[in-house]
Amino acid sequence: MNRTMVPALALLAIAALVAPSGAASKGPAAGKTVHVGVIADVTGGAGVYGTPQKNAYEMANDDVKSGKIDAGGANLTFDVADAATDGAQVVNLMQKYTTDGSTAIVLGPTLSGEAFKAFPLAARANFPVMGTSTTAEGVTALGPTVYRDSLAESQVIPTTVKRTHDKWHYKTAAVIFGDDNAFTKTDGDIFARELKAAGVDVVDTETFHIKDTDFQAALTRIESKHPDVIAIGALFPEATKIIAQAGKLGIKAHLIGGNGLNSPEMYSVAGPAAQGAVVGAAWFSGAKYSSNVDFVKRYTAKYGKGPDQFAAQSYAAAQIVAYLVAHGATNKDEMAAGLKGVRVVQTVLGPIGFDANRDAKSSPVILSIVKDGFAYFH
Amino acid sequence: MIAQQLLNGLFLGAVYALFAVGYTLVFGVLDILNLAHAAIFTAAAFAAFSLAVGTGMPLPLAFLIAAAMAGIIGILLDRVAFAPLRRRNAGTLVPLISSIGVAIIIGATLRGIYGVDERHFTTGAADTAPVLHLGPAAFTIVELTIFLAAVVLMFVLSWTLRASPLGRRIRAVAEDRVAAALLGVNLERTIAATFFIASSLGGAAGVLTGLEYNSVTLDMGGPIELKGLAIIILGGMGSVTGAVIGGFVIGAVETLATAAGLSEWRDAITFGVMFLILVARPTGFFGKRALRQA
Repeated sequence: MNRTMVPALALLAIAALVAPSGAASKGPAAGKTVHVGVIADVTGGAGVYGTPQKNAYEMANDDVKSGKIDAGGANLTFDVADAATDGAQVVNLMQKYTTDGSTAIVLGPTLSGEAFKAFPLAARANFPVMGTSTTAEGVTALGPTVYRDSLAESQVIPTTVKRTHDKWHYKTAAVIFGDDNAFTKTDGDIFARELKAAGVDVVDTETFHIKDTDFQAALTRIESKHPDVIAIGALFPEATKIIAQAGKLGIKAHLIGGNGLNSPEMYSVAGPAAQGAVVGAAWFSGAKYSSNVDFVKRYTAKYGKGPDQFAAQSYAAAQIVAYLVAHGATNKDEMAAGLKGVRVVQTVLGPIGFDANRDAKSSPVILSIVKDGFAYFH
Repeated sequence: MIAQQLLNGLFLGAVYALFAVGYTLVFGVLDILNLAHAAIFTAAAFAAFSLAVGTGMPLPLAFLIAAAMAGIIGILLDRVAFAPLRRRNAGTLVPLISSIGVAIIIGATLRGIYGVDERHFTTGAADTAPVLHLGPAAFTIVELTIFLAAVVLMFVLSWTLRASPLGRRIRAVAEDRVAAALLGVNLERTIAATFFIASSLGGAAGVLTGLEYNSVTLDMGGPIELKGLAIIILGGMGSVTGAVIGGFVIGAVETLATAAGLSEWRDAITFGVMFLILVARPTGFFGKRALRQA
C-alpha cells in the first residue's frame, strides 16, 4: 500500500467511528420532506449501467423508510428519472431538477460524457450535484458544487500500474481503449501515461468504439508486438469480449484494467481467459465489513443477481445524502454547505470523504479475477 | 499475423454479408429501405437465446427456429408497416419512417421481456470452444460454423432467386410490379415470401453474431445497421451478389485498417474507401439491375 495512504486511511477509520451508526434517529430535519433527483440511464445504450443504479436507489428508498439508512427522521426520497442514454434528456432533467424548487440535490447522470453536458448547468445555478459513476478526468472541475463519490480513474489506475509492476516487473505493454467514450478514453490516456512513467515501453496502442464486438484484428496486431502486459480501457461489455477473444487467440500477456472491469460479468462471461486479470477498482463486492456484506446479500436477494460497482456507488451516494439530511440539510443551499463540511461518512464503499477538488477521498482496491469471483491481488 | 487477420476479416465479412443480403433483397423488390431489419436481427438473437438457454434446445435447432421466427416477424412487418402504405401508393419515404416505428416497437418489446442486461449463450466457459489452427491462424469451431452457415445460406438464396419458380416471381415483381401482377403473379404472396426470406437471413445473421461474440444485447443491431447500409450501397442497391461482395469488402477493410495500426481511423478508412469506390462507380459494384437479372 502507498505509504502516504496509511495515515490518511487511519484518519478516515477514526473519523468513521464518530460517524452515525446507522440506527434511525430524530435529527433537525425530522418530519421534513426532502426530494433527491436521480438521473440514470435506465434504458438505451447505457441501460446496463443505469439499471443497477436505479435498483440501488429503490433499495435506498426502502431502507430510509425502514430506518436501515438513517435520515434523521426526515421523509427522504430518491426520485429516479430515466435519461434513456440521451444527452438532451440528461440536460432536460438537470434543468427540471435545478429549477423545480423542491429538489435538494441531483445524483447522476450515469456517463461522464453526460456529466460534461449537464453539470455546468448545475454549477451555474449553484446547485449541488454528485456523480456516482462519472469517473473521467475533469468532471469535478466543472464547478464548485460538483462532487463525486466514485474514485476517478486517475486515482485508481496509477495504483493498479504500480502494484502490478512491482509484482511482475514487466518491460513492455500494449494499451487498448475505447476512443469514443469519456471514461474509456481517460482510461487509455492514464494507462499510457502511468506505464511510461513506470519505465514500461508501450509497444502498441489500439482503439475501439463502444458497442464493438469484434476485437480480433486489434488483438492480433497487439500479439504481433509481444507485450508483457495488455492494459484495457473499457467497460465490462467490451472488456469481457476483449478478454475472451484474447484467450481464443492464445495471447498469454498479463491483463490489467480499471473500474470498468469491476463487474461480476468479468468472471461469469469472459471465462477462464479472465482468470488472473487484475482490476483496479473503487469497491470490492467481497469486502468483509458488515455494511457491505449486508448490502450485497440484500441486493442479490431482491434483484436475483449481485450488485456491481454502479449499484454500490449509487447506494453509497444515497447514504451520504441521508447523512447530510440527518444533520439538517433539507434544501439545495444546506446540501451544498453540508457537502463542503463532510469529513467522512460510512458507506458500502467503506469510509468516504471528499478532497479539496471534491473528488472521493478513499483508496482503490486492486483485485484479481479468480474462478468464480474477485480476490485481493497480492 | 497476416493469415490471422485475413481469417478475422473473412469471419467478420460473412456476418456482414448475410445481414446485408436481406437488407438489399427488400430494397431490390420494393424500392424501400427496411430500417426494421436490424431490430429483427436483434429479435432473432434473443429468440435463439431463449430457446437454447431457456429451454435447453440444441443450438442448431434453436438457430433454425429463430431464423424462421424472424421470417414470420418480417411478414408481419410487411402487413403492418408496408402493405397499407403500398396500397395507397405512399412513395418510398413514408415506409422508411413506418419501418423505424416498427423497429422502435420491437426494441421496446424486447426490453420489456428481457430487460437491459446483456445475455450470453454460455457462461463461465466462453472461450472453451475448441480452437483450431490453420497454419499460424487460430479460429474456433463456432467461427467456422458461422462462416459455413453464412456461405451456404447465401448460395441457397442465390439459387432460389436464379432458378426456382419463387425466385422468378420475386424477380418479376422487382422488375415491374404491375406487369408481374397482370401476368398472374400473386403480388402480395410474393412480397410476403420476399420479406420472409430477407428477414430470416437477417435473423440468421443476428443469431450467428450473438453466438460468435457470446453476447445478445438490445442494441446489437445498431452498429451493423449503419454498416449494412454502407454495404448495400457499395454492392449496388438491390443487388444480392453486390451485398455479399460488399460485406466481405467492408469486413476486410475494417480488419486491414486495424492490422495496419490505424484502429482509431478504422471507420473513417472504411467509409473513405466506400466513398472512393462510389465516386468511381456511383451505382456500386452491381447497381440495381443485378437482382432483376439474377
